[in-house]
Amino acid sequence: MSNRSASLLVAGALATAVAALGASAAQAGMPMNNANPRVRTMAALKSGKFQQCWGVALAGHNDCYAGPGTTCAGTASRNYLGNAFKLVPTGTCTAIHTPYVTIAHGHGSLKPITETGA
Amino acid sequence: MRPWAERQGQFAAALCNVEHPMPPGCIAPDGLPDATRFAVYRNNVISSLIECLQASYPAIERLLGATCFREVAFRFVAEAPPRSAVMLEYGAGFAEFLAQLEPLAALPYLADVARIERAWLEAYHAAEATALDPAALAAVPEHRSGDLCLTLHPSMRIVQSAFPALTIWQLNIAATAPIAVDLPTVAQDTLIARPDAEVEVRALPPGGAAFLNALGAGETLAESAALAGAAAAEFNLTDQLTALLGSGLITAGRLKRRRTRGH
Repeated sequence: MSNRSASLLVAGALATAVAALGASAAQAGMPMNNANPRVRTMAALKSGKFQQCWGVALAGHNDCYAGPGTTCAGTASRNYLGNAFKLVPTGTCTAIHTPYVTIAHGHGSLKPITETGA
Repeated sequence: MRPWAERQGQFAAALCNVEHPMPPGCIAPDGLPDATRFAVYRNNVISSLIECLQASYPAIERLLGATCFREVAFRFVAEAPPRSAVMLEYGAGFAEFLAQLEPLAALPYLADVARIERAWLEAYHAAEATALDPAALAAVPEHRSGDLCLTLHPSMRIVQSAFPALTIWQLNIAATAPIAVDLPTVAQDTLIARPDAEVEVRALPPGGAAFLNALGAGETLAESAALAGAAAAEFNLTDQLTALLGSGLITAGRLKRRRTRGH
């Protein structure tokens, strides 16, 4: 294959790919692409489809804010911390079972939990 | 007294390997050396590292069974203690360790499945990057499109396997009962990346791995496509570009300067 026809093939493939994606992006209304986890968390909350659920996040899997002295997502030092939350589909939070009966009777909580003796 | 660094080195070496004796100078509150207390401490350290490996390699644990996995992980910890206090990164080299472990020679796909799990972890913790808008590439003049150099997403990893490693991984991270996999028939290449919040794992079509490895090494689009075509005749450049751009795995593009030739 000559260099000329090879470069035409590449150009054709690129043009087809860009055109196909342009059409689908316009239909979908351009997906939001935000790198900041804090902004993503807020966006998920605003959508109304998720709510903050406290006391159910596994260690390191909390979504954001794990209490004083920590920064943000993925920092909870152990499982089911009462002051760390996880975003869960709305309406499912208090149905989540956790092994900690001392925290909200072993369920997720819609408010941060003050631990008395877990 | 021996230098502090030497004592720390001895203590660290003894912590992860039960064959080392208790380092000298370890004393209990009563002022006497207590090997039992040191053994309890060492057991906690080793157990926590094994748990870290369990969390990172769930499919390997399922394939080997809990007892065998603990034994294998126990040997790995002794051989490769952590070099950093950050446990997120512990377990690099586990795949290579599995590959050379003689009792596991009957499971030759194990190392590749471990590579997928490792790549998943690395992709999960990799840097964020903004995807390139495909429309930006529409401005590239047709005769220069072959000179495009594309920057791949920093989370992207490729695992090439002579076995159906991806299928084996998928069957063993799901809670469902595994089905039989025909080993010798399929070789699978796997793409692991996290363009947004979730890690995506998918099979690469023939030539896909060669194409991405070439792009990642800084080759132009034309060179990468040629290498992929040489690796697999059925390589489809349009499909591959559409998939890459569509899933946000290209983060930048630039034109390579052509060497000026006299004509």
